[in-house]
Amino acid sequence: MYIPITVDHIARVEGKGGIEIVMGDEGVKEVKLNIIEGPRFFEAITIGKKLDEALAVYPRICSFCSAAHKLTALEAAEKAIGFTPREEIQKLRELLYIGDMIESHALHLYLLVLPDYLGYPDPLSMVDRYKREIEYAMKLKNIGSKIMDVLGSRAIHQENAVLGGFGKLPSRAQFEELRKELKEILPLAEYTVELFAKLEQFREVEDKENVHMAIKPRGGIYGIYGDYVKVSDGFEFPVENYKEWIVERVVEHSFAKHSFYKEKPFMVGAISRIVNNADLLYGKAKALYERYRDLFRYDNCFANNLAQALELVYFTEKAIDIIDETLARWPIRERDAVEIKDGFGVSITEAPRGLLVYALEVKNGRVSYADIITPTAMNLAIMERHVRMMAEKHYQDDPDRLKLLSEMVVRAFDPCISCSVHVVKL
Amino acid sequence: MENRKIRIGFYALTSCYGCQLQFAMMDEILQLIDKAKIECWYMLNRNSSEEREVDIAFIEGSVSTKEEVELVKKIREKAKIVVAVGSCAVHGGVQSWGKEKELEQLWKTVYGDGKVKFEPKMAEPVEKFIKVDYKLYGCPPEKRDFLYALGTFLVGSWPEDIDYPVCVECRLRGNSCILIEKGEPCLGPVTVAGCDARCPAYSVACIGCRGAVGYDVAWFDSLAREFKKKGFTKEEILDRMRIFNAHNPKLEEMVNKIFEEGE
Repeated sequence: MYIPITVDHIARVEGKGGIEIVMGDEGVKEVKLNIIEGPRFFEAITIGKKLDEALAVYPRICSFCSAAHKLTALEAAEKAIGFTPREEIQKLRELLYIGDMIESHALHLYLLVLPDYLGYPDPLSMVDRYKREIEYAMKLKNIGSKIMDVLGSRAIHQENAVLGGFGKLPSRAQFEELRKELKEILPLAEYTVELFAKLEQFREVEDKENVHMAIKPRGGIYGIYGDYVKVSDGFEFPVENYKEWIVERVVEHSFAKHSFYKEKPFMVGAISRIVNNADLLYGKAKALYERYRDLFRYDNCFANNLAQALELVYFTEKAIDIIDETLARWPIRERDAVEIKDGFGVSITEAPRGLLVYALEVKNGRVSYADIITPTAMNLAIMERHVRMMAEKHYQDDPDRLKLLSEMVVRAFDPCISCSVHVVKL
Repeated sequence: MENRKIRIGFYALTSCYGCQLQFAMMDEILQLIDKAKIECWYMLNRNSSEEREVDIAFIEGSVSTKEEVELVKKIREKAKIVVAVGSCAVHGGVQSWGKEKELEQLWKTVYGDGKVKFEPKMAEPVEKFIKVDYKLYGCPPEKRDFLYALGTFLVGSWPEDIDYPVCVECRLRGNSCILIEKGEPCLGPVTVAGCDARCPAYSVACIGCRGAVGYDVAWFDSLAREFKKKGFTKEEILDRMRIFNAHNPKLEEMVNKIFEEGE
């Protein structure tokens, strides 16, 4: 008789989930990530609702990536009604998205991941000894929040991104101020790469079978939006065909479904973007990537932390570039009139945690079909596999050590459990 | 309370974690460390427990599983002050928007016949199960909502409720009226203020994330009657208000008053 080793409530992740490691005579018998948060039926409840009201509700799936949800749903909706935003509006939406990326990565790396490596239960008690790290964390996430605040109306659940463009654009002076502050945090972002390059990537979870999926960025520059998905095995598919290649299945121990590619688990997230698109980086991030090239390992999920740190640098520079382009084109009209026609649209973007899928159908101004697949739902299957690998190496250790290491594997994926349980299909 | 730190717990039910994120993102949180001890806050602290006594319990999220019903009861027993935080805890949240649909039907459309070992229930506000001492409105609440509530608690006082609509703040900011001038269904006239008319200031119609203003006086405001003048139907306004007010028992009655007035 073996007592399972369990973490009932994994701390320092978004949402509520647990780990259950079941032992048997031969060692580890089963590893389950239990998703214990209640289901929220987002697709089902928005059916029959007015398009603009549904678009206000989707971001509420998740606070850590509300801009990602807003902007992906918006792109799917605009494709459905046959509207294409002007290039300058598209750029500004990417800037808003980048705000989310910077805030989310900064929070994850400094407040959720770093305490494990420094031996703290929480980031707040680190303040005495690691004042600089906490200060950097606050400054980095503040600039991300500020972008979302100024351009999106607020840092959580932005309402300013609307069909056709934006309700209102910030002033030239506000953009200039953002630009100045982004310049100031660039060294902090670079420091983050140096810091995370030093942290251990546990060899226990090395997995040569890792398959990574990421968007093929539009315009051939490392980024968030695209029309094709790239897989690290060399395969590509248009976003519209997502259902053939991202196959979801209900599992009994979770309110969230698991996803498979060619019958196997796969990974999405910052490291998946680097694995697929590192050649499309530029600027300081490109140089840092070259310097630490060997640490961006496709076969180790812990490399996701370093990949997020690298993206802090990349997206800070990209945000500055977008602001420069915006100011060069100033003044910019905030919004075009849209006609809400019937239609169907699919958008896949790179949320902070990886691919985010929205498929929306619009009929008579209302949502008639909705399908959403979140990055964490895609990662759950491979996350379980890697926690299992960790457990197989450490099941004879002190259970507290095993628990911590297992949690660290989960945290490396930066799961967003609220995102994963809204789930699917009509 | 002068001699010891105030004990705080932040608990999550089913939600987007946005209220906690808002709380965590306040720079002021670092000043709190000297005055408060965090007994339970899973989002940030691995050394958390729901079993400990606290002075103030902040609860985010709607009650959406049987386990969560037990959890809120436990929190009530262990806490001196219970604060329901945000739209989900206060009104059941956006996940209650589909309240009129059967759970079984929702379940089937999402999970099919696949077996899941947990038992779900419809999302409901915290107050349905336990006594709530104070509410923070909004999706998410503003940072200053947290600061005001926590600040008053720390000095041994009690925060007041806001009993006027978003329109008041919107007028003070000098925004042009989205309802009257653009004819969009802005819920400013019937929504609890405190956001400084954040969305209307961006020329975006209010969707009522802070919930319906609870003092019946506001419902006869001439602005609310504009809904009718602008040609919106009662159903349109009701459906929009239900996004964040699904569990408000007086909703229909109040909207009826707007549409019956002056007939």
